[in-house]
Amino acid sequence: MKLSIINGSPRGKSSNSKVLTDRFQQGFCSVESHCDIQEYFIRSFSDPGKLIEVLENSDLAIVIFPLYTDAMPGIVKRFFEVFQGYTFQNTNLKLGFIVQSGFPEAHHSRYIKLYLNKLAKRIGIEYLGTIIKGGVEGIKAQPGWMTKRYLQLFYDLGQHLALDWEFSDDIARRLARPEHLSKFTLVLYRFFLKTRMATYFWDQQMKQNNAYENRFAQPYSKP
Amino acid sequence: MKITILNGNPDTQKKDFESYLDDLALALDDLGMEVTTITLREKDIHSCTGCWGCWVKTPGECVIPDDSIEIRNEIIHSDLLVFASPLIMGFTSALLKIMQDKLIPLVHPYIELVNNECHHIKRYKEYPKLALIYSPEPDTDTEDIQIVTHIYQRLAINFKSELVFSQSIETSAEKLVHEIIHHQR
Repeated sequence: MKLSIINGSPRGKSSNSKVLTDRFQQGFCSVESHCDIQEYFIRSFSDPGKLIEVLENSDLAIVIFPLYTDAMPGIVKRFFEVFQGYTFQNTNLKLGFIVQSGFPEAHHSRYIKLYLNKLAKRIGIEYLGTIIKGGVEGIKAQPGWMTKRYLQLFYDLGQHLALDWEFSDDIARRLARPEHLSKFTLVLYRFFLKTRMATYFWDQQMKQNNAYENRFAQPYSKP
Repeated sequence: MKITILNGNPDTQKKDFESYLDDLALALDDLGMEVTTITLREKDIHSCTGCWGCWVKTPGECVIPDDSIEIRNEIIHSDLLVFASPLIMGFTSALLKIMQDKLIPLVHPYIELVNNECHHIKRYKEYPKLALIYSPEPDTDTEDIQIVTHIYQRLAINFKSELVFSQSIETSAEKLVHEIIHHQR
């Protein structure tokens, strides 16, 4: 069984999406005796049309991307446009999507999920569904105890896919938590956002680049 | 009233789309509005690389020097920003989406709660209202329009704005002019 992962992160191999697909692949390979997985990075393809051939030669494919301005990144849309006039109806390929975002709530990605559901219909593909995961920005800076649980869920997601050739509804639900911030979390957030902890991730990077003093710069303001 | 139209049509053969935007711009111009149409296919715009340099290295400005600099400048001084594109595979063009991704420098990385959701805080005092003009594909249905419109409504929340209309080029330019006048700030 050949699994192709198409990674649509503009950051490519150094992306947060790659951290997730690494765990996903480990889970998938824990089942398959002959683990045939290739990960492709859209940003590396000047002609994304070449990825059609990749899909045609796969049994399973996952397209993963970060939420950019409430939708897919521009390079992912360019990839989707190569499907114009194309149908997968005569193939055995099963395709799923994973959308990750920096916002903690899954709700931000619900609208692009609706688009992906429709896209799957449009290209006549056997559709695995779309997994949503929020709170991924800064994943590499987060301590292990913060990421352990959901990285395990990506492992489980891959393992389940290898066993049953489908996304687990239960794992999908757990990854998508929270859909919205609960009343209790909102109280915590309101307090948290007033503290310097809320901006620490960004502030540290700005300080490293001597940009902190200009953090509220308005380069297009009229003098 | 200053209006910026981002023309995200990648295909010069789509004459109906081009002439619709031309007619609209002329009608608005006749009413004394300042209209700037930016044809994205003629611009040099590099895709966002997700480096967040526009937040952590040169706050408010993309680290890649391309034509998006002048476009952001036009946008932030506009009262209305019109996203214009044919629908391709059920969504606005990659050409337009690549420019949309480059609007990120106009907001701040810090987060605030808006309607009990996390969103970016403002970088500027004021932002233009947003509008969407699209040309449908032969298989476009109501669901497609709802999906695209919802996504642009979500963009408007993050862009400290509101989506004042989402209309097909099958709507008369005259009706759109009325909508625009109605939503003047």
